[in-house]
Amino acid sequence: MDYFGQLLANGLVLGAIYALTAVAFTLVYGVVRLVNFAFGELFMLGAFLTTSLMLPEVRLFGTVVPMPGFPLPIAALGAIVITGVIGVVVDRIAYRPLRNAPRLAPLITSIAVSVVLQSLAQTAWGAEELRFPQFYLATLPPVVLFDSIYLSVMDLVVMATAIVAMLGLSLFIARSSLGRAMRASAEDQTAAMLVGIPVNRVVAAAFAIGSGFAALAGLLYAQTYGFAHSSMGFLPGLKALTAAVLGGIGSIPGAALGGLILGLVEALGAGYLPNGTAWKDAISFVLLVGLLYLRPQGLLGRPELNSAGRGSLLGGASEAGAFWLRAVFARVDALLARFAAAGAPAALGLLAIAIVVGTLVPSDYWLRILTMVVIYGMLASGLNVIVGFAGLLDLGFVAFWAVGSYLTSILFVLVLKESYGVAPQEVWWLLYLNLPLGGLLAAGLAVLLGTPTLRLRGDYLAIMTLGFGEIVRVVAINWMDLTRGPMGIRGIPAPNLFGISLGSPRAQFFFALALAAVVVFAVARLVRSYVGRAWVAIREDEEAAEAMGVPTARYKLYAYAASGFVGGFVGVFYAHSQQYISPLNFSLFENILLLMLVVLGGLGTFIGPFVGALIWIVFLQLALDLPFVQAYPETRFALLGVVLIVLMVFRPQGLAASARVGLTMPGARAKEAA
Amino acid sequence: MTELKGGALLEARQVVVRFGGLEAVGGLDMAVARGAIHGLIGPNGAGKTTVLNVLTGFIRPTAGRLVFDGEEIGGLNVNGFARRGLARTFQNIRLFGAMTVLESVLVGAHQRFSASAPALIFGGRAARTAERAMIARAHELLDFVGLRHDIADRVATTLSYGHQRRVEIARALMSSPKLLLLDEPLAGMNAVEKQEIAELVRQVRAQGIAVLLIEHDMQIVRSLCDHLTVLEYGKLLADGAPERVLSDPAVQAAYLGRAR
Ligand SMILES: Nc1ncnc2c1ncn2[C@@H]1O[C@H](COP(=O)(O)OP(=O)(O)OP(=O)(O)O)[C@@H](O)[C@H]1O
Ligand SMILES: [Mg+2]
Repeated sequence: MDYFGQLLANGLVLGAIYALTAVAFTLVYGVVRLVNFAFGELFMLGAFLTTSLMLPEVRLFGTVVPMPGFPLPIAALGAIVITGVIGVVVDRIAYRPLRNAPRLAPLITSIAVSVVLQSLAQTAWGAEELRFPQFYLATLPPVVLFDSIYLSVMDLVVMATAIVAMLGLSLFIARSSLGRAMRASAEDQTAAMLVGIPVNRVVAAAFAIGSGFAALAGLLYAQTYGFAHSSMGFLPGLKALTAAVLGGIGSIPGAALGGLILGLVEALGAGYLPNGTAWKDAISFVLLVGLLYLRPQGLLGRPELNSAGRGSLLGGASEAGAFWLRAVFARVDALLARFAAAGAPAALGLLAIAIVVGTLVPSDYWLRILTMVVIYGMLASGLNVIVGFAGLLDLGFVAFWAVGSYLTSILFVLVLKESYGVAPQEVWWLLYLNLPLGGLLAAGLAVLLGTPTLRLRGDYLAIMTLGFGEIVRVVAINWMDLTRGPMGIRGIPAPNLFGISLGSPRAQFFFALALAAVVVFAVARLVRSYVGRAWVAIREDEEAAEAMGVPTARYKLYAYAASGFVGGFVGVFYAHSQQYISPLNFSLFENILLLMLVVLGGLGTFIGPFVGALIWIVFLQLALDLPFVQAYPETRFALLGVVLIVLMVFRPQGLAASARVGLTMPGARAKEAA
Repeated sequence: MTELKGGALLEARQVVVRFGGLEAVGGLDMAVARGAIHGLIGPNGAGKTTVLNVLTGFIRPTAGRLVFDGEEIGGLNVNGFARRGLARTFQNIRLFGAMTVLESVLVGAHQRFSASAPALIFGGRAARTAERAMIARAHELLDFVGLRHDIADRVATTLSYGHQRRVEIARALMSSPKLLLLDEPLAGMNAVEKQEIAELVRQVRAQGIAVLLIEHDMQIVRSLCDHLTVLEYGKLLADGAPERVLSDPAVQAAYLGRAR
């Protein structure tokens, strides 16, 4: 009973924090139908700002800056106001221009904003934790309930604050004129606009309030756990989103309920399940996935929110931009269009160029970098099948990559070498077996994970796949016997052909290039057939596709399978080329990065993923020579995020979008023209 | 309703559709004969599109049965309806953005392709033959609906309204349907275009394909249709030969009463 009571108390504190953050997601979603992933980062900013304002001095950008040393309430207020302003500015710059764009454009932008804020925070405050300062309330002795449950005074303050904040918000929305305007905009934005409600201002208010709530939750979290850190917002942000979805996104009581449930389930699960603390992150995501499967609208939500507008993922978004910018792109576009129209000869030409480059580049260093370009280009190509062609936003793609990598590593290192003492050189051929095997295994997993998502669209689909990706990662960390957990697997042999090691950077580059040729060829063959036409038809108008006799559910699964196959296939090679893997290689951030590369290059093109990978990885290296970046390596990610936001606003279809892919078999067309 | 002659192509029995409190279709019986042009008319909001959505599987009716070509089809998916031989167009054109005319039309032939993934990847002979045959058929159909060949590689959604309508019809015909359902294909067209499309519909019938046509222009309906069903407030108002139905006072009242 004591133990239970204590867990209950912990769960309530955690639940209060989740609930406050969930309110941010729900409020903004209700008004603009946007899942603003960046709330996790605003949560983190709230924590950092409060901590900083309470301290006498803080190291910012490596220099010590004097700080006011406010007491907690004043520091908190300051942090909440500043974060609220940041939220409004973010909305103004990154989201408002996309108000009429297809739904996924702002979603991707919000992921980019998240990356920008997180890397900026790490640049400013450093990679270390910032300890939450001591203050008077925290030094009071704990309150003892029922002789056995110890609650610190601050725990009580956290809960009380959450309750007061939520009641206040409910009252505000019910009574104030701004609150009524919010409700009206949530119901029907066009109608609200027509009756003279200043929708932009209402949205800004929702962002301000939501960001303030996220900041409040973040500072309470920092206080409870005693630190602030640049990545601290990530998991709580996801869980708060889970809580919001659980309660029914768009509903404020739902957010409160969802947060409470999630906090309790997590605390009790951590306390009672075997090895519960290790698995507690998985608990929330399993809950999320199960819920989305059984009742996507959440406990108190409305079903119609599970929808994505018709049309391309990004296409049709307004193409703004200065005249000169459009002029530049017009040139590039014409070139790309001609390139794409040339089809196979153009692809072979590119391959030839890559071979020449691989032969001539003298430095091993650059060969390694180019190998990474090819690997990321291949992975992005796999993701492109599902996101770019079939139009399904997948944030769990890394799982397939991980499956391939782990399959081959476990077989080579843990099973053959360590259990049976077989030297890797003796079984060099196994790699060539593992490539398709890893692909098939990942494809199987992809179908397994894809099946429950079939009924979901748009934002909910993204959230569910994200949940899957996280579950796979948590499993990889915790299933020690199989994966060695966070230690990772070392000593994976370099690729080998007939006993000749292909470990040299040059050999690896050519190996990767050969695989890339296989991947692109296979994907292109599928896309340039009735299968690809079915995928694009689903992307453009699922109902119309169905009416033309396309079994859309089956073809979505095919897309998952194809994408998973590529992920697993490349994953096998990745493990051998890195010779060491750990769950860190397969984080959600990698998935986001891959998504950004595809979007950067151009969704639904063959060359886009490689363009994106080339630009990003080469930039990553060149940037290392800049003194500013040397001092603050994190700014590179911020820069990528900024580029992506700018791209979303000015050229949402990506850089190489005009390299349009034909969807008919090349041979069949050639005959018909004659 | 009157006894159906045996062998109607499509029969709907006692179909009811409710949207919340609104009964959009209330106990409708209707039958489309083989090889006929069947007009479905009625004032705005009468429930015509809703009926067409039921007949193509887009809306599961609240109650009622559907029999197509002697087979119960009520429980199928939308793609199942299409596979049995029901093809449709939409009141608001729904072409696939970012696809060329040829590609869009080919999607209509989806069910005629069967090559496996390995056959596609390794370039199976049969896969190529099928593709070639379907591309040839698509060109025939583009011809048939009156579109010039050089339009095939344009992105479909960039065409003029009238051309988009024709592409949509070609896409529907590509599945070799037994019944073609057209939701106001003449809307927004000028008199010449209307005559062209009407002629096209006759040619479709000449190929043995039945047509269900929703249309507001009574001139065209009178000259084109073999049979008419009139809806008002989701209920059957009249059903039968065009001349008789259109001279029915109840039908005239429905149109006049609403139009003013
Ligand atoms: N999905 C829906 N949800 C709720 N009501 C609907 C829905 N679809 C149609 N309705 C209503 O059902 C009734 C019939 O609509 P329907 O579109 O079938 O009419 P229609 O005869 O096609 O009209 P029109 O000539 O204007 O195209 C209308 O009152 C409409 O508002
Ligand atoms: Mg209609």
